Amino acid sequence: MTDVTMTINGQTRSASVPPETTLLQLLRENFNLTGAKLGCDVGDCGACTVIVDGQAVNSCLMLAGQADGRQVLTIEGLASREHLHPIQKAFENSGALQCGFCGPGVLLSAKALLDDNLDPSTQEIRDALSGNLCRCTGYTKMIEAVQEAARLLREESRTQLTHARPEVATP
Amino acid sequence: MKRRGRGIACMWYPIGFTVSANPSAATVKMNEDGTATVLTGTVETGQGSLTVLGQIAAEALGIATDDVHVVSADTDTTPMDTGAIASRTTYVTGNAIFLAAEAAKAILFEAAAPMLDVKVSQLEAKDRKIQVKNYPQRNVSIGEVALRAQAVLGTPAIGSASWNPPTVALDPETGQGKPFATYVYATQIAEVDVDDETGEVEVLRIAAAHDCGTAINPMLVEGQVEGGISMGVGMALQEEMLFDANGRHINPNLTNYIMPTSLDMPEITVDIVQGFDPTGPFGAKGVGEPTAVPTSAAILNAIHDAVGVRVYSLPATSEKVLTAIKAKRAAEQKQIPA
Repeated sequence: MTDVTMTINGQTRSASVPPETTLLQLLRENFNLTGAKLGCDVGDCGACTVIVDGQAVNSCLMLAGQADGRQVLTIEGLASREHLHPIQKAFENSGALQCGFCGPGVLLSAKALLDDNLDPSTQEIRDALSGNLCRCTGYTKMIEAVQEAARLLREESRTQLTHARPEVATP
Repeated sequence: MKRRGRGIACMWYPIGFTVSANPSAATVKMNEDGTATVLTGTVETGQGSLTVLGQIAAEALGIATDDVHVVSADTDTTPMDTGAIASRTTYVTGNAIFLAAEAAKAILFEAAAPMLDVKVSQLEAKDRKIQVKNYPQRNVSIGEVALRAQAVLGTPAIGSASWNPPTVALDPETGQGKPFATYVYATQIAEVDVDDETGEVEVLRIAAAHDCGTAINPMLVEGQVEGGISMGVGMALQEEMLFDANGRHINPNLTNYIMPTSLDMPEITVDIVQGFDPTGPFGAKGVGEPTAVPTSAAILNAIHDAVGVRVYSLPATSEKVLTAIKAKRAAEQKQIPA
């Protein structure tokens, strides 16, 4: 068994799992965080995307042990009880998800992009979402939603600069 | 070098089953707090049908979409529905819900007429109120009417209805009949770049004009069209189930069965053509499956426009396009006398 301890959505979580356990299995089966989806389990579909230390990764291709001591963000950590994250808000407003199975992965790929770049070009958005397969939407409204989310986040960061109120800073 | 081409394809598509019965049933209940509950057997798969069905009920009852709670897809409790197939949900289930809402509204009007001292025919349901036509200041809230209907008059405002698209069976001798109650129409235009040295096709833009009768929710219609186009792009250029000599599927995975990603998608312009079908709920027809129908034909026509070759088997992979280009060149060279 391998002992792992990591920060998931801001909380320290530990588990003792067989060494072949993937991060996705750890999240879903040990921590009951079922937002990251098990699609293909070989890194093709991107439904299991989570953010590890700022990078969007396929959690089905990462061992739980490799995430030991690192920061993991899953879809469950994106919204607060009161507010959707601006990316989620933008996806909702644009009708950018249909069946939604790819949604958690797409949103986290978008977040990893926007954490680095608040003004991405269409091509940069297409590149960032290219590892997330979607059978329903044709991606068009997703790309529009990421552009809208970028605009919302730019506004938010400007507001925070003008009235510096660290206590309301979003995670 | 890359050669650009444009292609166009048109289609019609029927809504509902071919002649055979495909009914939908629905129940609409007006609650005493002014909200409504819709029971339907159809299923939401992300296309947004429950939103559209809620909008239809809300419009019929004169309340807001947010006031409508749609309960769906439970064979124990919801009325029979043929299902989310044949691009039929908005049209067939929508009609059933519209009729059920009208039946509930008729009970509300019977209850409201003496409250407002007018005839039933003078009433309309609007802005969460039952009001006198042309005298909207004479009104009573729809929740109050629903309460009176059930608690005083003993006639709860509940309507149930079913609807089956009217068709005429095809005559086995002549083939004549009316197999479907309504049809939708669309045209798509594709612009592609074809690399005549590699056969690679890149779809740059697709303009899609679709008739779906009244677009009850234009954003969801656009979403359906864009999604259908992505399936059409995959069908035209990428997606193929491969079988070995024993009939075994040899690419049952997303590694070798290649479907479009965000990088394969063209720029899409959706044009919803204004239409009104008097047989549909508020003039609506359907939009689901038809969206994928013309895409691959438009792309293959664009390939012909770009490099002058016809590819007759899908997907038009780089190999097939390049083979066709080489065959065309060889045929052209043969015509030169030795």
